[in-house]
Amino acid sequence: MKKSSIVLIAIIAVAIAMILVIYTDSSTYSTFTEAKEKKTELYVVGVLNKEKALHYDPKTNANHFSFYMYDNDSTECVVVFNGSKPQDIERSEQIVLTGKMDGDVFHASKILMKCPSKYNQDQVEVIETNAVAFNK
Amino acid sequence: MDVNYVGENLLPGKIGQFFIILSFGTALLSFISYYFATTNKEDKSWLKIARVSFWINAVSILAIGSTLFYIIYNHLFEYHYAWAHSSKALPTHYIISSFWEGQEGSFLLWMFWQSVLGSVLLFKAKDWEGPVMTFIMLCQVFLGSMIVGVQIFGFHFGSSPFILLREAIEGPIFSQADYLSLIPDGRGLNPLLQNYWMVIHPPTLFLGFASMVVPFAYAAGALWTKRYKEWITPALPWALFAVMILGVGIIMGSFWAYEALNFGGFWAWDPVENASIIPWFTLIAAVHVMIAYKNSGHSYFTATFLALVSFVLVIYASYLTRSGILGETSVHSFTDLGLNGQLIAFNATFFAIMVIALVVRKKHMPTTQKEEDIYSREFWLFIGALVLTVACVQMISSTSIPVFNAIFGTKVAPPLDPIQHYNKWQSGFAVVIMILTSITQFLKYKKTDPRKFFASTIASLIVAVLLTAIVSYITKTYTNLIFILITFSSLFCILANIRVLADAVKGKWKLAGSSVAHIGFGLLLIGAMVAASTNEVISINNTGYIAVSGFDKVEKPGDNLFLTEGEPVQMGDYRITYIGDSVAQPNVFYKIKYEKIDEESGKVQSSFVLMPFAQNNEKMGGLIGTPATKHYFTHDIYTLITAAASDQQAKNANIPADQKTGFEDYEEPATYEANVGDTLRYRNGFFVIEGVNRNAHLENIPKGEKDVIVGLKIKVVASDNKEYHVEPIFLIKDGTSYDFNKDVNEQGLRFRFSNILPKKDKLEIMVYQKPLPEKKWIVFKAIKFPYINFFWCGTIVMSIGFFMSIFRRNSDAKRLEKKQS
Repeated sequence: MKKSSIVLIAIIAVAIAMILVIYTDSSTYSTFTEAKEKKTELYVVGVLNKEKALHYDPKTNANHFSFYMYDNDSTECVVVFNGSKPQDIERSEQIVLTGKMDGDVFHASKILMKCPSKYNQDQVEVIETNAVAFNK
Repeated sequence: MDVNYVGENLLPGKIGQFFIILSFGTALLSFISYYFATTNKEDKSWLKIARVSFWINAVSILAIGSTLFYIIYNHLFEYHYAWAHSSKALPTHYIISSFWEGQEGSFLLWMFWQSVLGSVLLFKAKDWEGPVMTFIMLCQVFLGSMIVGVQIFGFHFGSSPFILLREAIEGPIFSQADYLSLIPDGRGLNPLLQNYWMVIHPPTLFLGFASMVVPFAYAAGALWTKRYKEWITPALPWALFAVMILGVGIIMGSFWAYEALNFGGFWAWDPVENASIIPWFTLIAAVHVMIAYKNSGHSYFTATFLALVSFVLVIYASYLTRSGILGETSVHSFTDLGLNGQLIAFNATFFAIMVIALVVRKKHMPTTQKEEDIYSREFWLFIGALVLTVACVQMISSTSIPVFNAIFGTKVAPPLDPIQHYNKWQSGFAVVIMILTSITQFLKYKKTDPRKFFASTIASLIVAVLLTAIVSYITKTYTNLIFILITFSSLFCILANIRVLADAVKGKWKLAGSSVAHIGFGLLLIGAMVAASTNEVISINNTGYIAVSGFDKVEKPGDNLFLTEGEPVQMGDYRITYIGDSVAQPNVFYKIKYEKIDEESGKVQSSFVLMPFAQNNEKMGGLIGTPATKHYFTHDIYTLITAAASDQQAKNANIPADQKTGFEDYEEPATYEANVGDTLRYRNGFFVIEGVNRNAHLENIPKGEKDVIVGLKIKVVASDNKEYHVEPIFLIKDGTSYDFNKDVNEQGLRFRFSNILPKKDKLEIMVYQKPLPEKKWIVFKAIKFPYINFFWCGTIVMSIGFFMSIFRRNSDAKRLEKKQS
């Protein structure tokens, strides 16, 4: 057997092992209830509770932002983010949080938002534009 | 119901659409003709048709581009593309960016570059023209189909940039004939893309992507026409060109992210970034194995496979970024245009070509019976290429998690901390690859004398170890083994290549290109590692932990710092002051002054002002910050605004003029019943009722017999002892009472002498105060990136190296051509 073939087989073996390891590194999308049980860092997907107030007062603490979010099971939970308020969170239609539960509070280390498409086709925005136009 | 729309300029769209169809048709014709020109060499007419249709295709693409540019430039908002990606206020150079903000425009850019490359090949490829152009035109057919924008049997075929706004979006206003007059402006360009790097980064990147098709076409053409050995030499300069341009394009994107995006870094392992770097790595691996094959006859299969798979991965990258499959895992992918099916077909076709060509021709591929020697360059080039490929496999598997989810219906989430996840793997690969790059420099093709090899290697190795100690100490990266290993392997690589370069100066110029590129990559890697591992947030905020209702937990110090205008704050080595802002619509620039203070003398050693800006863009959703960075030789100071006080004036500006009472700017009044001689306080001082003036008069109002006009003399004394005198007036005319207020503008005060109460023997006054002007504030974040200049510097050196190699390989190819003819 050629040396290069042996190396090739060895490297393929490494690659397969690597892919398996990657999937142990991957995470799952879960809910607040699960987060409470597991207490490890994970993703929670949900929507912002727009009826309750968002709390961000940079004068007292520029690194404290809190809000209420419903997860996919419609469980509501307080979320605390150690940072400044993401600029257009009010407009978000979906939020993906990275973080973990601590007592009854979810501490997020990262907030990813899906906003009604900022850059492209968007019905909502069109309606807004029209409303302005009709007032003229 | 048919409406006769007013004011639409439909001609450019019709012209554009005509050229789209023409370009698609000619691409298809050219592809077919090139196919038959290759299989049917005697019949020269096929070649003629192929060439003519190629040129018509190239001209059509130019025409489409010009028409689209005309539409955007003239703000023809009846076209969806112009409306969605531009606005009237956009300066010309950003109009160019809006051209490729959308998917259609970026496909167009890709097609444009492909036809430029095609026209070069038409003159240069000689007897390779037929097979090579067949594959390039096939790619052009697929790209062309993406922008066709027609419905065939209900199937949505491509998405045209010339679609009208009223066709793209449904809305009540489109039933009005003059709807255009209701659309005063387009939605504008995403503020993040309003950056000069965004003008040049996409064309460079797409030139890189487009040029990857050439090595593919050569390799596939070679397998197809059974000219196995010949393709390597002419394809090599093309592969190097693609690697150089794509590399520059990727780093430009990284520089844009660093300068204009707000995530605070230059590389985030975002799926979109990964998608472009994977084919870059595989093509680099391909280049190395191609050279190994040229010099030794080994690894033909690997060279061909890597050249082919690189372009397949380019198509896969465009599928990832354009199909919307990345969804929540990526911040900056395109939105879904419903081209999924076509993109998958594009992918599948080129993947199938690769697999079929490799499988069918496997038996006939040139092989050498002789085994590689361990002390030979080709053996280690082959190993290096394999390691690079495995590094790509890691990136592909992690990036493709959403794709696997879509295929298998699973719900696996990507790693929680992607940066750490990729760094962990890729830093290991980087060390191996850099060490391989170093030792291969000491090896010759075919066979090297082991003793000579060890003798020359050890000298460089020792110097590398010493330098590693010094560099790790200076950059403070000695705490982590993998950082030390990266530093060592990169320095080893740099040293080994400097040795080659030294030989080059003595006359072996041929090898200079590769060594310069390797040195550049070594510098890049050290710069990236140091900047990424030792960057520190310097705006650490330890103060202000006031418990918020419901959350009484003490938290870690945060990264954001609160600054009030004019109040300096000490931040690490710097004293920083927010000194004000300036507005250049639509951007607000926040001026932040940094002063480095000498601890002993208290003197200012150095100072600079950074002006990060934010665009308050309602249409795009709120405040979008753009950082400002101070570049030093050894480090950068990066500053970003994360929140700012909203404009106070804006609140009252919304009240229509006819409803204004003149009192909106004041707080609720305080009403006093006072006597002459009383002293009353206000926020910034006090005022004394000095007396009543019975002889007051009002201009324009004649005093009747029974009328009463009384003035009230008030002396205002501000906290800085300045005195102001005012005299509000009370008037009874024809039995009705009026009062005339008087203001002290300097103190934001307004007095009304509102009544006289004879029974109580009191005078009623009302005092209005303006709210204290709220001090402007900002919340910002500052990060120090040490030695990041090595990263940019390394990129430039590497590109120069690639450029030198292109020249060398191109003259090789020319020499071979001469020999053959």
